[in-house]
Amino acid sequence: MTKSIVALFQNASQVAVTDSAATGTVSTAYDSLWTGADIPTQAPSALEQVMLSDEKIFVVLAVVLIIWIGVILLILRTDRHLTRVERSVAENIPDADDGL
Amino acid sequence: MVNVKRYTVVRNLVFGWLTVILLAGFLLNFPKINILEHTARNLYFHVPMWFTMMAAAFVSGYHSWKVLQTGDPLRDIRALQAARVGTFFGILGITTGIIWSRFTWYVGTDVWWNFDPRQIMVSIQLLIYGGYFVLRSALDEPGKRAKISAVFNLFAMTALPFLLYVIPRQMESLHPGAEGNPAFSQITHPVMRLVFYPAIIGFVGLFWVLYTQRVRVAWLKYRVTQDSEM
Repeated sequence: MTKSIVALFQNASQVAVTDSAATGTVSTAYDSLWTGADIPTQAPSALEQVMLSDEKIFVVLAVVLIIWIGVILLILRTDRHLTRVERSVAENIPDADDGL
Repeated sequence: MVNVKRYTVVRNLVFGWLTVILLAGFLLNFPKINILEHTARNLYFHVPMWFTMMAAAFVSGYHSWKVLQTGDPLRDIRALQAARVGTFFGILGITTGIIWSRFTWYVGTDVWWNFDPRQIMVSIQLLIYGGYFVLRSALDEPGKRAKISAVFNLFAMTALPFLLYVIPRQMESLHPGAEGNPAFSQITHPVMRLVFYPAIIGFVGLFWVLYTQRVRVAWLKYRVTQDSEM
């Protein structure tokens, strides 16, 4: 099974090497599958086909979106706390006109 | 107290800075790398999450140290909020890492989690911070809570460099610098460094903005309700 994965990635890198020869590829070891893996390979699923298209740019998009959504959620949580504090200020100092 | 004027200036700078990083991250080209292809750009987004978490842990630990020295409730609030936002960046880091590896190295395998040493150690670190928050909620007396949780937080800060950095480098892993893999400095194109280092500064700045924002709210809450939890 490991052999089939290795073969898969060798095929992929051969394809990449042909068009990277002109641009001058940066040599890297990122592209070796972690050797502890022993998992059967399958045909790419629909999700994979989308994510792998256009030289995997959608993986970067997904990563950036996760960060963006995370920041939004954190700000919303902070906002909710602020609303609660404002409410307790209004309860404790009912006559105060804070101009808000 | 928080210097609101400085906060506003830094906030605007960080927003502008990160906008430029985002544009540069997508628009600047570098030689194509096998297997990675465009996902190499995740270097600008996934990796700074961990630098930011590390910076947050040191900020949090510093204020916990000050809590033990002075017992100041504002220091306690700062330590808690830095730990919260730091953990938030850790969760973003591990989620983006899962997506990156799933569609780059684990294609055709249906694997979302492969027990990479870094993933395991980072999960442990996030659980340690989970323990910090649970410990806080378990203690009722504010003074005691501030001091006991400060000691635990110092332990969390001390564990972090080992769990995120030292141990994963000794083992076989997808990550650069691990056993058998070349270090980051040997394989990264100069164009990528041009974006990568400013990206770290940008995301640490984003941490500072989100953290200061929460400190402002938490300090206001403390002044109204005498409750430092948030």
